[in-house]
Amino acid sequence: MSEKSIVEIVTEWDIVTARQQGRNEAKAIGFTTVDQARIATAISELAKNIYLYASEGDIIIERLKEKNRIGIAITAIDKGPGIANLQSVLEDSFSNSGSSSVGIPAVKRLMDKLDIESEVGKGTKVRIEKWLKR
Amino acid sequence: MQYEKILSDYLKNQSEENLYIGQNYIRQLIQKNITPEEVINIHKQAVEQLHGTLPKYVEHAYDFLIEVMVYYGLKVKEHQSLLMKQEELRIEMDIATKIQNLMLKTNIPKLNQIDVGMVSVPVRKMNGDYVYFLQDDGHHVSVAVTDVVGKGVPAALCMSMVKYGLDTLEFANNNPSYVLEVLNRIIEKSVDDSMFVSLFYGRFDVENNIFTYGSAGHEPALYYNAKENKFYDLESKGLLLGILPEVKYRQSEIHLNDGDFIIMLTDGVTEFRKLEELDSRQLIREIAMKCKHLNAQQMCDELYKQLLSYQNYQLEDDFTVVILKK
Amino acid sequence: MKVNVQLREDGDMLRGKIEGEIDTFTAPILRDELETITIGKYSLIELNLSNVNYMDSTGIGVFVGFYKKVNREEGKLKLTQLSDRLTRLFEITGLNELMDIETHKKVELSDGNF
Repeated sequence: MSEKSIVEIVTEWDIVTARQQGRNEAKAIGFTTVDQARIATAISELAKNIYLYASEGDIIIERLKEKNRIGIAITAIDKGPGIANLQSVLEDSFSNSGSSSVGIPAVKRLMDKLDIESEVGKGTKVRIEKWLKR
Repeated sequence: MQYEKILSDYLKNQSEENLYIGQNYIRQLIQKNITPEEVINIHKQAVEQLHGTLPKYVEHAYDFLIEVMVYYGLKVKEHQSLLMKQEELRIEMDIATKIQNLMLKTNIPKLNQIDVGMVSVPVRKMNGDYVYFLQDDGHHVSVAVTDVVGKGVPAALCMSMVKYGLDTLEFANNNPSYVLEVLNRIIEKSVDDSMFVSLFYGRFDVENNIFTYGSAGHEPALYYNAKENKFYDLESKGLLLGILPEVKYRQSEIHLNDGDFIIMLTDGVTEFRKLEELDSRQLIREIAMKCKHLNAQQMCDELYKQLLSYQNYQLEDDFTVVILKK
Repeated sequence: MKVNVQLREDGDMLRGKIEGEIDTFTAPILRDELETITIGKYSLIELNLSNVNYMDSTGIGVFVGFYKKVNREEGKLKLTQLSDRLTRLFEITGLNELMDIETHKKVELSDGNF
């Protein structure tokens, strides 16, 4: 069983709302201040990508529960242009380093797990997870 | 916590020694991949332990710093990762260069009937330009000047395709039209969509002093006619190699008399990025005029020296010039 | 050294404006941007290069690659407002006969004598 909350990303302010939701959830679950900051930053980057490239999408925040650990999962989903070359998006590159976002590799570094699906013309879905050891 | 102890010592005595110990400790944290935001958190906790409960605004100030440091730390990690990638690319380039040096050695032909000179300098480790000479049957000497787009191993392999293509044509009819047609077919089949080659091919008939030439998307060669004391451009419109499967190429010919010379080059010689207004071809004509009394190799060296100084001794692209002089 | 691409739909046409410099560093960025275009959607893809200050052969590579892709998907590509320098580059390489290229229009000034 998991509890979900959804934040629609349409304006730039929605990014802030998504961060806040994520941080609140992370705090409630028991993540440290530093981890809260990381989770909020990861949400911020995914939401920003939706805002910049897809113009609208959703951030879905869920609590995760397993036998000996609990965690948080965030899914960023949009019906935007999609990513043609997934491989290049998963690598650090010189063309990304000047841009205003940090890119997918950075989000991966902040979390424990990252999965990405994308189809050109259909949209993109990114799911990230972070776990707290009990 | 060890950090707490080190900080405590410094707070009691702001000595250089304590700072030094602090920096050494940080080194250990870096090695354990502790992120900047975590270090600040460690610091915050240490201050709390030493001082007691912090005033609210100080606590908030720390939380703010932790938050913004997350982003900072990500950029640092990205930078490190890019440096590693750069190193891997450098190693690949070294391999490509070795391939190139082994397979693509060029020997400048030495003949009585015509003087040949060449300078080819890469801007980085691997040369994107390639010059191929062929001295066949005693009646002809051929030269191909080519420029491959792209770098690294793919470009080196593309060049080797050009070389082997030219090698296999050695005993066949080697009219420029035919050579370009065949090379185009070979390259079009084997390279990806955005790789292509520009090539200028010339064949000099040693007995009749006729130079026949054709070009595939390459910078036109310069021809100096000694009798008229005039320069001409050896234009031969043709599509770059490797773009379409079937392409026909034109060829033209000129007669060379004593004192005439031909300058073949790649766009590294004519493209001056920072000096857009400069008419580089005119400049080359002027330099060539001034040193036309020298032999072909000396003329090449002189062109290189002078054009290099125009670019402030920093090449922007591979520089290749070949001179045939009667 | 930067390159910037703006794309805008205009009816069933796609108008693009490319600005900046296209070289070894920026060419991959241009290529990625062009990759996002759904070619089949448009009757014509027109790219305005008036603000391209510099382009070398890596830039040519990107356009050739894109041109081939457009052809395969039965679309139509046109490059407009090329500077004299860019026009020369396309002429030397023979690409001006293959691709639909339009050089920049010179403003004709009458000398007022007639």
